[in-house]
Amino acid sequence: MVDPSLLLHGFGTVLSGYNLVALVLGSFFGIIIGAIPGLTATMGIAILVPFTFGMTPITGIVMLLGIYTGAIYGGGIASILIKTPGTPAAAATVFDGYPMAQAGHAGRAIGIATISSGVGGTFTALCLAFFAPILAKFALRFSAPEYFALACFGLAVTITLSGRSPVKGVISGLLGLLLAMVGLDPMGGYQRFTFGFAELTGGLSFVPMLIGLFALSEGFRQVEIILTAPRVSAVLTNILPRLKDLKECLPAYLRACPIGLIVGITPAIGADTAAFLSYAETKRASKAPESFGKGNPAGVAAAQCGENASTGGDVLPMITLGIPGDAATAVLMGALTIHNLQPGPMLFQAHPEVVHQIFAGMISANVVFVVLGLIFARFFAQVINIDRKYLVPLIFVTCMVGSYAINNVLYDLATCAIFGFLGYLMIRYDFPVAPMVLAQILGSMMESNYRRAVVMFHGDVTQFFMRPIAMTILALAVFTTIVAVRRQRQALKQEAAQLAALEQSSSQ
Amino acid sequence: MPPVSMKKIDILSALCVIPLCVYVFYESGRWPILPDLGNPAWIPRGVAVILFGAAVLLLGKAISGRSLTLPGRLTGADRARVLWVAVLTGAYVLIIERLGFMTTTAPYLFGFCMALGERRWTRLILFAVVVPVTTYLIFDRALNVPLPRGLFR
Repeated sequence: MVDPSLLLHGFGTVLSGYNLVALVLGSFFGIIIGAIPGLTATMGIAILVPFTFGMTPITGIVMLLGIYTGAIYGGGIASILIKTPGTPAAAATVFDGYPMAQAGHAGRAIGIATISSGVGGTFTALCLAFFAPILAKFALRFSAPEYFALACFGLAVTITLSGRSPVKGVISGLLGLLLAMVGLDPMGGYQRFTFGFAELTGGLSFVPMLIGLFALSEGFRQVEIILTAPRVSAVLTNILPRLKDLKECLPAYLRACPIGLIVGITPAIGADTAAFLSYAETKRASKAPESFGKGNPAGVAAAQCGENASTGGDVLPMITLGIPGDAATAVLMGALTIHNLQPGPMLFQAHPEVVHQIFAGMISANVVFVVLGLIFARFFAQVINIDRKYLVPLIFVTCMVGSYAINNVLYDLATCAIFGFLGYLMIRYDFPVAPMVLAQILGSMMESNYRRAVVMFHGDVTQFFMRPIAMTILALAVFTTIVAVRRQRQALKQEAAQLAALEQSSSQ
Repeated sequence: MPPVSMKKIDILSALCVIPLCVYVFYESGRWPILPDLGNPAWIPRGVAVILFGAAVLLLGKAISGRSLTLPGRLTGADRARVLWVAVLTGAYVLIIERLGFMTTTAPYLFGFCMALGERRWTRLILFAVVVPVTTYLIFDRALNVPLPRGLFR
């Protein structure tokens, strides 16, 4: 169970001195990054990780949590104002947010989006604080075979649920597994796939690779589409929502909060799915479903609340089991590791005070972005108009400096640049990037625990099937994979049918 | 823009992955098997076999015309811009340690903005000077994260 005194102490630490400044700055930059179409929460964390190097671990982590939650919320601003989601997760906000803006209620829509994001985010952060210690305590029973099974489960779900093509997801994930094997063998200590380069002995530099794959690759994408950025012309008034509006949105919150949390906990699906599911469920249960898509405030509330409600769910498996829920939490996990904090059940044993500070940081971050979002709404709306010809080079330089700053070696800079271009090509040609990164984290976990389990079982691998928890997790992995592949096939068939219908109508 | 099939790129990707699988399978067989630690080649070989299967499947799908489509083809100008930025970034990585952060970043930003079509010279020069100086002050001075000094060592 969560320790109330440690949590209170955590609030005391997070809301004092440099930590509070870092939290506010993190949220502020997070919202800016989220509001600019093309820049994602993952990219925001990856770019700003280097700024935390000189900070104490908790200051750095609190700043990153601010960026994460702020960016997820910020995506809705662009959805409402220019019909272009700031982040992929905010796509569902477009349905009712943009019609509201067109009807002259842009300020009201942003106000509702802000409060709704805060409600979802705070709910999920409280759930995180409540459930994480319980799950971590249960995870203490796990040993090598269970961790091997968990890694297999995470990998199976991640690979099959990412991207439009399961085959490309598999290729991306397996390449990530091979990349995880570069360096010294975890048990034998001999070199593998290093090709004689001394720099590769310790494995590929993880954070420069993350910055390259998630931030620099998006930078390259922006270079490609630089001339098509839309501009905001709407005037924002009545930003603070009325009580009547919030009452109308209450049923949406009651549905979106649990949906977001559950979706968030499921590996590989994150804020975008949570937002769409929450929106669809709120529309289905509404007495006037026909009003959705035409500027219904409950539509904005459901999408934004569901989106932010997934954040705590995403963090939960990362902090308790060391398995990131999505790409953003994978980067967050990398950042924790840099600050010498290894996520997993042992973190709860070794550093309970840090864990509670993280909970307090997560709850506070959701309050801070609401305050900032309401006060600086007009400023964040103008941020969308930033000239991309200056913004994109700035992103590149920040990525480069950040990669170099980790160890002050050229090799990290080169890793970032190479993976940045590779990531760009992957995004361009529909190979999902997230499985490659998640497989790197889970691959090391899978391999080392498999080898440990083999030693434990004196070479008898059939012993894996004698352990109920490991068996259940492995069965779950197989089941989820089958369901995911079937669903993806159906989705592709639907897409092909829609394309055929489109071609037919255009030829007529 | 009409959708474009990814047939060629899928074939190329599969043809890059297949030799890699063969290499991993062969190379992992050469690793020493230490007593009581299990065969270290098991996982890499398993990964190589599944990866080989996935690559063959991708190749088969592409050859039989079942590749997915892209929303549109890159125009020549878009491609040139991306390539120019990639070359510029590559050069930046190669020379930053020798010449130093500020002396490399200023021309890099100048060239980058020009590649993106910026021609307002005063703004451009101001940007190319202010960004490296500010970044240096933030990292090197405020955060104590040293940046390459190069010529100013």
